[in-house]
Amino acid sequence: MTISAEELNRIEKKDLFTSGHRACGGCGQALAARLVQDASGENTIACVATGCLEVFSSPYPDPSWRIPFLHSLFENASAVASGVEAAYKALKKGPVNIIAQGGDGSTADIGFQSISGMFERGHNVLYVCYDNEAYMNTGVQRSSFTPLGARTSTTPMGNKTRKKNLPLIAADHGIPYVATATVDDFRDLQRKVKTALSIEGPKYIHILAPCPLGWGHHGELTVKICRLAKDTGLFPIYEIIDGKMTNVRKIPAKVPVEEYLKLQGRFSHLFKKGGSKETIAEIQKIANQNIERYNL
Amino acid sequence: MLKQIEGSHAVAEAVAKCRPNVISAYPITPQTHIVEELASIVGKGELDAEYVNVESEFSAASVVLGASAAGARAYSATTSQGLLLMSEVVYCIAGMRLPIVFTVANRAISAPLSIWNDQQDSMALRDAGWIQLHAEDNQEATDLHIQAFKIAEETHLPVMVCMDGFILTHAFEPVDVPDQKEVDSFLPPFQPTNIVDPRWPRGIGLFADPRFYMETRYILHRAMEKSEATIKKVSGDFAKAFGRDSGGFIKTYKLKDADVVVISMGSLVGTIKDLIDQLEEEGKKVGLLQICSYRPFPRKEIYNSLKDKMNIVVVEKSISLGRGGILASDVRWSFPRAEKKDRNISSFIAGLGGRNITKNDLRYMVEKVEKEPVELEFLGLKKELISKKDL
Amino acid sequence: MEKLPLGLVMELRNVVPYKTGSWRTLMPINVMHTPPCNHSCPAGNDIRGFLRVLAENKDYEQAWHILTRTNPFPAVCGRVCPHPCEGGCNRRDFDEPLAINCAERAVGDYGLENNLKHKKLIDTRKEKVVVVGSGPAGFSCAFHLAKRGFQVKIYEANSEPGGMMRYGIPSYRQPNYVLKQEIDNILSLGVELECNVKVGVNISLDQLRNEYDAVFLGVGAQKGVSIDIPGKDAENVFTGVEFLKQVNTGKWVEVGNDVVVIGGGNTAMDCARVAKRLGANVSIVYRRTRMEMPAITAEIDEAMEERIMFRYHTNPVKLVLDEGRVVGLLCVQMELREPDASGRARPVPIAGSEAFIPADTVIMATGQAVDYDGIEIQTVDKRWIYTNEYFMTDMDGVFAGGDAVAGLETVSLAIGHGMRAASAIEDYIEGNKEGELAQPPVVISRELNTYYYQPVKRYEKEARPIHMRLKGFKEIYSDFDPDDIIAEAERCFSCGLCFDCGNCYMYCPDNAVKKSKTTGYYEFDYDFCKGCGLCAKECPCHYIQMTLEK
Repeated sequence: MTISAEELNRIEKKDLFTSGHRACGGCGQALAARLVQDASGENTIACVATGCLEVFSSPYPDPSWRIPFLHSLFENASAVASGVEAAYKALKKGPVNIIAQGGDGSTADIGFQSISGMFERGHNVLYVCYDNEAYMNTGVQRSSFTPLGARTSTTPMGNKTRKKNLPLIAADHGIPYVATATVDDFRDLQRKVKTALSIEGPKYIHILAPCPLGWGHHGELTVKICRLAKDTGLFPIYEIIDGKMTNVRKIPAKVPVEEYLKLQGRFSHLFKKGGSKETIAEIQKIANQNIERYNL
Repeated sequence: MLKQIEGSHAVAEAVAKCRPNVISAYPITPQTHIVEELASIVGKGELDAEYVNVESEFSAASVVLGASAAGARAYSATTSQGLLLMSEVVYCIAGMRLPIVFTVANRAISAPLSIWNDQQDSMALRDAGWIQLHAEDNQEATDLHIQAFKIAEETHLPVMVCMDGFILTHAFEPVDVPDQKEVDSFLPPFQPTNIVDPRWPRGIGLFADPRFYMETRYILHRAMEKSEATIKKVSGDFAKAFGRDSGGFIKTYKLKDADVVVISMGSLVGTIKDLIDQLEEEGKKVGLLQICSYRPFPRKEIYNSLKDKMNIVVVEKSISLGRGGILASDVRWSFPRAEKKDRNISSFIAGLGGRNITKNDLRYMVEKVEKEPVELEFLGLKKELISKKDL
Repeated sequence: MEKLPLGLVMELRNVVPYKTGSWRTLMPINVMHTPPCNHSCPAGNDIRGFLRVLAENKDYEQAWHILTRTNPFPAVCGRVCPHPCEGGCNRRDFDEPLAINCAERAVGDYGLENNLKHKKLIDTRKEKVVVVGSGPAGFSCAFHLAKRGFQVKIYEANSEPGGMMRYGIPSYRQPNYVLKQEIDNILSLGVELECNVKVGVNISLDQLRNEYDAVFLGVGAQKGVSIDIPGKDAENVFTGVEFLKQVNTGKWVEVGNDVVVIGGGNTAMDCARVAKRLGANVSIVYRRTRMEMPAITAEIDEAMEERIMFRYHTNPVKLVLDEGRVVGLLCVQMELREPDASGRARPVPIAGSEAFIPADTVIMATGQAVDYDGIEIQTVDKRWIYTNEYFMTDMDGVFAGGDAVAGLETVSLAIGHGMRAASAIEDYIEGNKEGELAQPPVVISRELNTYYYQPVKRYEKEARPIHMRLKGFKEIYSDFDPDDIIAEAERCFSCGLCFDCGNCYMYCPDNAVKKSKTTGYYEFDYDFCKGCGLCAKECPCHYIQMTLEK
């Protein structure tokens, strides 16, 4: 399906995911969810996994969704979306944008099986992952997206493992479109959602969504922290179209990781007395590796 | 059309004729022949449906949930381990009031691993809010599927059709598989109401805080109770349309003058009927109350049919470990406490893990309860395999 | 309470959202702040206002109307103002300040080319006000009073109106026809002008006080002051003001080959450059150094470009005469010691360093004073007219402003004085005693979020080549390209006022920023705002402030 450049670059604000949700003030995920829903438009069905997004946005009797949404369980957003897609195909209805959405757990951990199956079977579904780097809804526990050194309630001394690279895993399934994005550049994020929805087949978009509560920063810094995550090299921005990496965002001026880490309470233990300079150096190494690998 | 056909294939053909839009299943013995046959039917173009080959039973149930929520008639089949794996989704489907039909090819539960028949699996999910119908033979299994879609779509409750694995699924019997026109005139096209549709936005799967949750459970419970009328009506309509009795709430066999009444469900019922005929020739009066709808539980029917019967024995292929017979407890609860004093309700556990149940075993059971009531006994237990300390 | 729907499946069209606004402790409010350019402008212009109109609507006409709300001389100021606004511009901390002065001139010139007219705000009322002096202060006061409906008459001592703008500023900096057109535009509001009438001599101040409801004195400081050295009364010795006035009336002054200008102010620079154009070699003699010169930097630079020699540390001791005419000066070298009362380093002569500098004409641009001829009025230090904070002198109903009050200042300041005095006069006549409204706080560059901007080169005006410049009195700077000026205006950060970037609208996670149907900007939906502060943090122009919830 072709999409005009004008439509691709238009910024959308339609309030399809609107006020009244119980997210914390400054929530990156709430912002991302709104941008995604608006970019997709009214002809959308959202299949949402249990997590912060679902819990703060869909209580009875005042959900904040204005497009149809289907929430079932924690680990099956992709499978449910596959079912909806199969139904639309079987009933010869549509076309409709089916967007499966979930956080860390429902994408990479407990929901890994079902997203892998959805990719492999080739359903025409866009999966959007809101990466806030822990299981935020249940109380900031560690997930496979938690980065090295981060303090969570189940890794109080700092996380010892590196972040799972789901965008590349998704790309290796052979799906036609994979992208990463952050909430600060809303034009880019909406453009990527629209691009994805114009392609047939399974698509994956990985959005970095800072969590003021879990990351330990003031709600107003959400946008600034995304920028630092990009400019230190810790969160590379790119698209993978038909297996080829393109549109890699080059870093205009490289920033050392300390600038990013010191704004967040979850890394504060690295800077205190007895804190670990080695861990900071490790994190810088990861950033450097990313810069080299993705040619940032 | 009457044909000599394997049970699974008969079910597959019947399901295909109900025109499901989305079929999704993960293979597990002994359900495999059903889904393979359906794949073949879809592949040959005889059925226009989406057949989704998922990567686990959990996803199978989830795909079916999503499809049904989007307005498709959806079907899946599973058993034992698979049913337990998808138990989260099973409860979810019931809570969402989606009219989905499953086939459960009853099989024992691991550990230890067993692929043979008993009814522990569907018993494990008896509280989920699904209508559970048990088939006596392959004909009834075939018929129940056709009725199940109609019951589900009218009551907005999902239906599990239980048929004994291997015993029914892999048995070749003459079965009258209805043809497409007959099924079409019995089962109208699916008219979904509460679906996700961008033209009329709805939210499915909202969460309910303590202000609302309890009422949702009450409503579901009452819906289960009220579905009795629909189950009976559909069975009656089926009899009118196809000329045979299938399904319904309960069935009785030679109950009128029986001294001992046996209660059971599933394929065991056939063996019991044979025994009853045999005993009749010997001058013993034994009757059968066959439970077709296990959930909603036919409490009133059991009471009304058996209120004058003083010697009742329940034989079942399931057990609540640490407590006793599950069907037996349900039956015992069907009689008001005050009256239970001189009535004997005995409980026998039989056939777990596919152990063969012979007419002799059943005869032993009847003779035993004629003498004295049995609190709980495992029928045909091989004591020689059990060490003294485990007895 | 609604009955629970089947399966808790809910229609989304009629949901009553939960009001999360009750959660917050801080709330965002829209606060218009003063931009540093407006704050620094002595004339009180709405610089942000006219730049935004140029940038967003590309509308020169509207920009002209915004600018002439306060300043009736945009074309003049766009040529002569030393632009303190550019010194305040917050963009200077990002890349380079905006070329506001060029923009003002472009807007002023547009007004002249398209004959845009001032509009009266109120119909004529019965009160009459007289303005003494038709310089920037006088005309500004007359302009504002006329717009408010007063009947205004201006008395001008010279034969043509304009004051220092006409007789003080040379035409290569500011051509006559530009000034004349802007003056005519003011007069078309119904202001009466009578030239060749010197108040205090041809007509008394008391008479004016009787005839009119109020008087404004914009007499300027047009009397040249020379330094007291022997020979200062010779024929070919001029004061700076005298010299410029003669040239500006169209007289060709024969200056000879060598001209020496004494002084370091703007007048000295103007005299030197005019003399250069009259064909002489010119040198400027100043007793301190460049750093202490009060002239505007740009003027000094341009004078140096025009190959005028600067003799610093040089002080004239006496003028050498031959047959009553000056042939040169005897100067002594100075050295600088600790600062004197003026705050500048004290120059001390170096003994034995006298030298002779030949000169055919000597111009002493060494100070100006108010011509009090015939006017008895309270002064400050016997130099400038005393006024209170309402611009009223010690005489009731008599107001004053401009150089006569502030000392030697700029055209823009005089215009500002005229405007505020007009306001004070209106209050006086109506019997109000309103103070000036409090200005909102000024935005500093630290408060802006400049992440969204890229460095863009500032517009540089092009000067004509030097040898061409010196061939006459034509303007040094050619007309500016209107599109270039609009591009420059687009660099404006709009400090303190929303310019519809949409950041707050897009970044609010709670959809609590709505497009306002009334103001055209954005407003907050306080039913849902949680007070996270993202809007305030990402606002590039500091229009949003977080305050404590009430």
